[in-house]
Amino acid sequence: MSDHPPDAGLELLEGSTAIARSAITAGCRFFAGYPMSPFTSLLESMARLLPDSGGVCINAESEIEGVNMALGASAAGARAATGSCGQGIALMQEAIAETALNETPLVIFNMARNQQDYFQCTRGGGWGDYRTLTLAPKDIPEAVKHTQLLFHLADAYRIPTILYGDPLIAQTRIGVRIERLDLPQLPAKDWALDGSRGGTGHSRQVWTWAMGKTTEPGPGPDRHWQAIAEKFERVAAAEQRYESFRVADADTVVVAFGSAAKFTAHVVEELRAGGYRIGHFRPVTLWPFPGEALARATAGARNVLVFELNAGQMIDDVRQHAADRSAVRAIGGVSIHESGLSYGPLLDVPVIRERILAGMSGEPRTGTPVHDLARSLL
Amino acid sequence: MASLWSLTDGQSSAPVEHEVLIAGIGGQGIQLVGKTLALAATLAGQHAMLAPDYGGEMRGGPSQSTVVVGEAPLRALPIVAAVGAAIVMHDRFTGTVPERLRPGGLLLVNSSIVVADPETVGPYTCIELAVIEIAQELGAPAAAGLVMIGAFAGLTGVVQAERLVDAMRTLLPPYRQQHAAANARALEAGWATGAEQRMTVAPT
Repeated sequence: MSDHPPDAGLELLEGSTAIARSAITAGCRFFAGYPMSPFTSLLESMARLLPDSGGVCINAESEIEGVNMALGASAAGARAATGSCGQGIALMQEAIAETALNETPLVIFNMARNQQDYFQCTRGGGWGDYRTLTLAPKDIPEAVKHTQLLFHLADAYRIPTILYGDPLIAQTRIGVRIERLDLPQLPAKDWALDGSRGGTGHSRQVWTWAMGKTTEPGPGPDRHWQAIAEKFERVAAAEQRYESFRVADADTVVVAFGSAAKFTAHVVEELRAGGYRIGHFRPVTLWPFPGEALARATAGARNVLVFELNAGQMIDDVRQHAADRSAVRAIGGVSIHESGLSYGPLLDVPVIRERILAGMSGEPRTGTPVHDLARSLL
Repeated sequence: MASLWSLTDGQSSAPVEHEVLIAGIGGQGIQLVGKTLALAATLAGQHAMLAPDYGGEMRGGPSQSTVVVGEAPLRALPIVAAVGAAIVMHDRFTGTVPERLRPGGLLLVNSSIVVADPETVGPYTCIELAVIEIAQELGAPAAAGLVMIGAFAGLTGVVQAERLVDAMRTLLPPYRQQHAAANARALEAGWATGAEQRMTVAPT
């Protein structure tokens, strides 16, 4: 690869640049988006790097244009992506639903400001029976790998896939190597629009609710949407990913995702070294949620402590799957930096340690989030 | 709380990681200084992380950056809970230095601006350097931060002066290349100053 340094040594790269390089290594040749911090640096990296790789990067006039440009490029067979932070991805939901329902692959980078987009990533905001496969890397090296995996999975299933990043992944610089992942070869995209007018019939139409043409009838909307729903069931069964450690004899299991899970894992290791019977579970795919694995990991736990930097979103999935739902408690909460663009003081080892210790002993923690107050008033 | 830290510190088999927190105000080159150190370490084949932290202001606002360097893939989190070394470049913003610098840690103070209160710096190994005057004498008045990061590297041996110069030249945008020679003098003079102080400081 021309974008590899000759000695394949470590390069000090901002996370956004590392992700852009990984996307190009994965074959991404079209990117469109609209600037919004902390996504902007990914867009800038793509704008700087894609042309030299024979690709196109467009600073669109809005998020809605950006996602639809990427959808168009993907329909024509390119590996294409868009992105924003959760606020901008909210605007893209209609196009993301169309992408899922008309079976066009698309990679969406949510370089989020915090963890308040869990519902958005896992439930979606468009119409119809679809889901978005979402990977939540814990750090930059994992984000580099996830980026390539997301392009692969998007093409393999013809679905939209999401990278749930954050400011720490977007803006921290670390020494990394961008290497091509060894992923299985995929079949040619025989469904892609190819620009021809006579032969393939792919020039003008991929999707009119699957009714097809007079000469070549499609399955129709009923069978089409059933097939889509069955496909998402297959994805849900096949693509669950998670990471758990020290759960076998754990009284307490901490559950967290993304960057926050790197912090909680650090604290769990510390507490283990201090003799506490504590383990850690991290969903790597937020959808499909690794529910059966969570049930196994929490089988012996008296405390299942959910640390997420929001008012309580992933906790719904944890409650649904934990071995004992009465053991599940929130120890995270909303915590936003004064700039509005990053995490607040809750994402810090001493604070997390205090919350976990309080959760283990069942004592009330300091700084009770508003939603817990509301619940106790009812 | 202290016992938990000592438990962590007791994991002596873990590879050593050096953390430094650099605090100052926008315009002092805090971000460039952090980048220079992190890139120099990377060029030297080490693992490095740079966590920037600054607001919207270009000049005068709070600015800090944390650099972690190690021989192996880093365990450090992007928000580093405790650092072994800190650099304070301005008295208007000491950032999270007071809460993050470990007792006994190395504290470098820009004494051209900051008056180190003996009581405050008591728990640390404090070294005061008048880096603005040093930079001015070298004809590089804007390079006080580079003098300081050079001194830090010379003092700790974390990276050689030549690597810092290579990193600085890489990071300097084309329209600032006229400052490259003066910046190199600042890094080298800082490194020499730090190396001189090495004997006075217990190994970190």
